[in-house]
Amino acid sequence: MSPPKITTIEQLQEYLRIAMQIEHATIPPYLLALYSIHPGTNSVATQALRVVVVEEMLHLTLAANLLNAVGGKPDLTAPDFVPLYPAFLPNGEKDFEVDLQPFSAAAIDTFLKIERPGRAPSEDKRMIHRPPMMMMATAAAGVRRGTRIRTMPRAMPRTMNATALAAGSGDSDLDYYSIGEFYDEIGRGLKYLHEQEKDKLFSGAAERQAGPEYYYSGGAGLFEVTNLQSALDAVHVIIEQGEGFDRGVYNDAGEIAHYFRFKELTFGQHYQNGDTPDRPTGEKFAIDWNAVYPFKKNARLTDYAGSSELRAAAVAFNRSYADFLAVLTAAYNGEPELLLEKAVPQMFVLRNKTLQLIHNPIPGMEGVNAAPTFEIDEAGSAVAA
Amino acid sequence: MRTSTTRSLWGGGISGAIVAHELSRAGKRVLILEAGTGGDRTLSGYQEYLTRFYETAAKDNQSPYPPNANAPMPRSGEARKITPGVPETNGYLVQTGPFSSDTTYTRVLGGTTMHWEAKVLRMLPEDFELRKKFGQGEDWPLTYKDLESYYEFAEREIGVSADIDDQEYCGLKFPKGYVFPMRKLPLSYLDQQVGKGIDGTKVKLFGEEIELKVRTFPQGRNGIPNPDYVGPDGEKGFVPVGAVNTTQVELGGRCQGNNNCVPLCPVQAKYNSNKTLAKALQTGRVDLLAQSVATKVQTDANGRVTHIEYKTYRDPSSIEYTTNIARGKIYVLGANAIENPRLMLASGLPSTSGLVGRNLMDHAYMLSWALMPEVCGTMRGTNCTGGICDLRGGAFRSQQAAFSVDIHNDGWGWAKGSPYSDLDQLIDGENLFGRALRRKLADRITRQLLLAFMIEVLPNQSNRVSVDPAYKDQMGNMRPIISYNIPDYTMRGAAYARQFARLIFQRLGAADFTQYDPADYGYVTYEGQGYIIRGGNHLAGTHIMGTSRSNSVVNTDQRSWDHENLYLVGGGSLPSIATANVTLTIAALCYKSAKAMLAQLQ
Repeated sequence: MSPPKITTIEQLQEYLRIAMQIEHATIPPYLLALYSIHPGTNSVATQALRVVVVEEMLHLTLAANLLNAVGGKPDLTAPDFVPLYPAFLPNGEKDFEVDLQPFSAAAIDTFLKIERPGRAPSEDKRMIHRPPMMMMATAAAGVRRGTRIRTMPRAMPRTMNATALAAGSGDSDLDYYSIGEFYDEIGRGLKYLHEQEKDKLFSGAAERQAGPEYYYSGGAGLFEVTNLQSALDAVHVIIEQGEGFDRGVYNDAGEIAHYFRFKELTFGQHYQNGDTPDRPTGEKFAIDWNAVYPFKKNARLTDYAGSSELRAAAVAFNRSYADFLAVLTAAYNGEPELLLEKAVPQMFVLRNKTLQLIHNPIPGMEGVNAAPTFEIDEAGSAVAA
Repeated sequence: MRTSTTRSLWGGGISGAIVAHELSRAGKRVLILEAGTGGDRTLSGYQEYLTRFYETAAKDNQSPYPPNANAPMPRSGEARKITPGVPETNGYLVQTGPFSSDTTYTRVLGGTTMHWEAKVLRMLPEDFELRKKFGQGEDWPLTYKDLESYYEFAEREIGVSADIDDQEYCGLKFPKGYVFPMRKLPLSYLDQQVGKGIDGTKVKLFGEEIELKVRTFPQGRNGIPNPDYVGPDGEKGFVPVGAVNTTQVELGGRCQGNNNCVPLCPVQAKYNSNKTLAKALQTGRVDLLAQSVATKVQTDANGRVTHIEYKTYRDPSSIEYTTNIARGKIYVLGANAIENPRLMLASGLPSTSGLVGRNLMDHAYMLSWALMPEVCGTMRGTNCTGGICDLRGGAFRSQQAAFSVDIHNDGWGWAKGSPYSDLDQLIDGENLFGRALRRKLADRITRQLLLAFMIEVLPNQSNRVSVDPAYKDQMGNMRPIISYNIPDYTMRGAAYARQFARLIFQRLGAADFTQYDPADYGYVTYEGQGYIIRGGNHLAGTHIMGTSRSNSVVNTDQRSWDHENLYLVGGGSLPSIATANVTLTIAALCYKSAKAMLAQLQ
């Protein structure tokens, strides 16, 4: 076992900030795929996407609890917290980009990559060396070099020290094989730092934690992170619900991991207890790939030059989204009650604004509808120009 | 043909689901005969109901549930004014009157918990002793204390959201430290506005002074789990139950205030008994036979049930069916208070007390509606979050019926068909369009206040369910004939309720728009005044519980006095309905009965 790469609290906080970025960055692609499905159709896919996206929100909040527990301050309004899609999400040796695109076989393919089960084939493969050419490609795709984990914000957060992440190895060109490996490193860091610092590691104020009353779904719930055990539990839940650690289709809680929910969509068949990953034997179902609103992949405000109404709607969405992130930030900084009082109603507003966009065609583009652009500027506010 | 299960059970509603779950958990095998098609156990089946609801113009109680000629059910819009002496046969229920009821129940898997509003009030301690305390109605052979622990089981199963603080009134008390599984759902803004106007108001009733307060109702829908909850088995905490499906799905975590709880919660945050049935089926010891209508209970010379005959139809519209027999050690009729006695009577079973089908009770609902002076956000929240419960109990019950008052968050919908009727009226009647129409519509609807008075009805032997071979459904099963009158005791309560509504509206500065049209099928006159009474879908009394075979149909375990291996469970057993929506009490009784059944099977 190699030495832990996280050896200071500052490094741990950086990892956790990035963890929040990772969790958040998966939400827009899942949500838009979900909302693109025609109402009343594709119920299995709708449910799968809904479950996954809701659990990503849980993971985001657990990551915030972790960061708060070790004395950090979550900030979802930080510049570049929201990636500009397509976001380049390198994963293992095959790099791939995450697009904002309608529900489709291609979207599921990407989602499978995001949720790909996680152990690297061997210890020395836990982190991947990215060839210099790839880094160039990253820059060319509008994503600047800096974050070496799967979620690639379009620019490196100013708060992030480029050497912080790689301090353990001294190599800034490393990437984790999977989200699971990344969190595993956080777990190792937590244990290492706890040995050094003991309970001083968990210096964050208890009232900054979001407790169980703010979330529930099957499988796992939200809980406060106040000590090593709850911190490791949080890491465990995130890994388990996402991709699992090669333990098969069902996790400890008997829940199907995200990866396998997406696999079911590729098979057109549910898993049942006892199934191996490559052969579901449960109920079959059909997918209607055509029952989808064909919105423009990775739409930008500039795509709506020909329609002042679409443009206004897209700007309004971005503003609402920026407001929403500001409320989440406040909620994760000592006002968790805002999650229920403000964030939940805001999510309904965001849904309605999304539907408004993706139900309307872009003038001049045959058969292509509008979509939210998630363009949030460096000041953490909506891009209006 | 299926034989030799431990138990055969008719009816896949809440009673059947609880009994099936309790017995299967204890290792017993159960066969459930369900008249409906049974597709409702899957999320996609549920979604079909929702789609049907969304697509139907008339959003009534039964709109999500397709017609099924082999398991017909009463549907809204079927009730007609009854001509004396001429049975009204328009709907599934044959009605001889004089009162024409629009009461409904749902014959699908999950029963009426599919369309119910999920208000889960406990009965008051005094409701069990109406004769002793007030010289009215019947006493139960059980006390509130006897039922108290079973209420806790029922509240866990249904997943009740409520706070004790709001629920201790009119003699209701909870054991020290008891909390509901989930915290209360908050009062709507409309409730709060009403509360501002009337909290602390005192009314005088036969010399008794009663202070009013708007309080939350206990709700059978998911809210925030109470971390202090300790369940009846000593377990700590509560995990809300989400949507029912045959594959894993995480939906239904929490109420979103969609405001179409009735007839169907779009996210399954509202309890329906398929949540319980799903657990029963998971034991592997429960068989569910859908599309199977029980047609005859067969007994031997000693009154013991030997088998239940049932007909399995090919599909809802088909006239083809096969006739089969189900046998078990004990038999349970778990349908509602109309279908249970209907089957007993159609089976031609003699009854020592002669009370099968008699004492039919259903809450009498009287509506009063007004426009609030300012916008109150009507149409937000679940159908009903708060109301006035202070007149549920009191010495006045020796003179007139008690009632509970619901503040409806869905505006004048029940009385006038809002919001759709408002749109029609503003377009056709006032020629509005565009912005002016939108403004007027919003202004009008968000100020609507509807008070629904749920008035108690006492058992009365002439209010009854009977059968007659002259009236049959497609499959040849005799339809229920309902003979029903609203007793004067109830009407005295209604007359007072109308005065009470006027007082409330005055206090609120609200403009009273209530009008009772004499042409309405529910029009009832009392002491020269006219009122409209609506059915409550809270059916009870028709296999009444009592102390002996001569004064009742079932004992305190809901076991038939005349048939030792037969249980009739459900609302039919209740000797009074007082002012509590019946489901919670039905559920509590089923836990008691399941215990007795297990003892009998030992």
